[in-house]
Amino acid sequence: MSLLVCEGVTRRFGGLVAVDAVDLAVGEGEIVGLIGPNGSGKSTMVNLVTGVLPPSAGRIRFAGRDVTGMPSWRVARLGIARTFQMLRLFKSMSVRENVALALHPKLDGGLLGSALGLARPAAADRDARARADALLDLFGLAALADRPATALSIGQQRMVELARGMIVEPRLFVLDEPAAGLSPPNVEKLIELIRAMRDRHGITILLVEHVMKVVHALCDRVVVLDYGVKIADDDPDAVARDPRVVEAYIGGARKADDAGAG
Amino acid sequence: MRAFLIAVAVLAALALLPLAVAGGYLLHVLVVIFIFVILAVGLDLVMGYCGQYSFAQGAFYGIGAYTAAILHRDLGFGFWQTLPSGIVAAGLFGLLLGIPSLRLSGHFLAITTIAFQTIVYLLLTQWTSFTGGQYGLPVPKVGALTLFGWELFRVETVRDFYFLALGCMAAAIGVAWRLAHSRIGRQWQAIQDDELLARAIGVDVTRGKLVAFVASAGLAGAAGVLLAHYLQGVSPDDFAIWTSATVVAMVLAGGRASIVGPILGAVLFTAMPEVLRSAQSYKLVIYGVVMILVVSFLPGGIVGLLRRERRA
Repeated sequence: MSLLVCEGVTRRFGGLVAVDAVDLAVGEGEIVGLIGPNGSGKSTMVNLVTGVLPPSAGRIRFAGRDVTGMPSWRVARLGIARTFQMLRLFKSMSVRENVALALHPKLDGGLLGSALGLARPAAADRDARARADALLDLFGLAALADRPATALSIGQQRMVELARGMIVEPRLFVLDEPAAGLSPPNVEKLIELIRAMRDRHGITILLVEHVMKVVHALCDRVVVLDYGVKIADDDPDAVARDPRVVEAYIGGARKADDAGAG
Repeated sequence: MRAFLIAVAVLAALALLPLAVAGGYLLHVLVVIFIFVILAVGLDLVMGYCGQYSFAQGAFYGIGAYTAAILHRDLGFGFWQTLPSGIVAAGLFGLLLGIPSLRLSGHFLAITTIAFQTIVYLLLTQWTSFTGGQYGLPVPKVGALTLFGWELFRVETVRDFYFLALGCMAAAIGVAWRLAHSRIGRQWQAIQDDELLARAIGVDVTRGKLVAFVASAGLAGAAGVLLAHYLQGVSPDDFAIWTSATVVAMVLAGGRASIVGPILGAVLFTAMPEVLRSAQSYKLVIYGVVMILVVSFLPGGIVGLLRRERRA
């Protein structure tokens, strides 16, 4: 059964249709790539799936539950974690705090309890910090745990975002261009990390990516958007050969043919 | 732990002070400082921790004070009843003001809070039949504090009131400290840093902001009830926009999101006019200059300066 199902999801901004009746299914344990030229609606799709934006039409189901129009914080609590195309980290907090804080909503012992000291936040905090440290170690960030998060390099900040998502053991992890701004060796490392998330932790992944190498190395299936419309949904090789996809990316291929014929 | 020991030592010293000091004047100034500490520490929750600028702390202060006065007048409430009533009434209005904060931020929210502050002040001055207008309303002394019929403590003199205000301030600081250092406090800081990201990691931003506004207003309400019983009356001018601006200045100058900062700010801004008695008419000018200087050169306030020194 599919973990995430989008049926005819549409999002309009005024007169612009950013996402147009897209059907998208992501099976449990799959790594699905979401690609498309700039402005094709990938980021809007991510924001729809994670509840940042409500769809104008269509339905979204996650783990058998209708999550259409559900606010993003509740979607997050159901087990969808995400990273951001433009890095987002809490700037007043250290690397460790950024990662550990993601656990807080899960440990929520109620307001009154925590205010009266009944929820024993100290114990939960220690646990959250220990888990954050273990993950930072795994991501090669242990030495930077006490640094302000935004003082790190872009590549390191992307790793912090991944650790922040991993700590909650999400069922679905939506990665929005995780390879953007990474050096080639770091891209290799990223591929290994994402593969391990699925293979070792069983996390389902929806991967928005421009770097084709990453898409090719990881994805079981690739969905292609163009002007908000789904134009392909197949395995990576088949998608790469699809003439509609080639046209969307290279642009004007058919026109050139027409000119040649005429 | 060290902070806790320092706090206990300071409170103990303050509790013993009346034994050494005979004069009522110093005790009076300290009572006023205690009341402003409650206001400033309360504002720090919403402004320092949650990052929502509010120029309405004076209005909640007034709502607490007038709730005490009106409930005494109409229902004969004593301090044990006016204190919780004032906290609840101010807290409810805090909830009301929290609602626009869900959609507005920054300057727009600040302007909304100024509008709210102005409306409350106008109601206090103009709705004469209910609030007594410019003349205000009388409020009795606290008198005997009883619990299940047993008299615990009598509050008649300034010295008696000093102990009551000290206890209330300690409780308010305790509540604020607890909130700021619990999970909700961490969530406030997440909201202040990046609301969208806070939501993405599952923080209920709506609840976080509303709790901040309610807690902040509730503490201001408690301060208002104390003032009403202390002055044995309420009048609108204690709750005008100048009071709100002063409390904002206390938080900024002391250092936001630290609890200690607003306490230092309240001491500084309450003691300063007493020291500069001769310059009384320039009080607001001096406040304004201090605010501009602090915001320009000391964005972390006094606490930020101390932290920097320690690190250097």
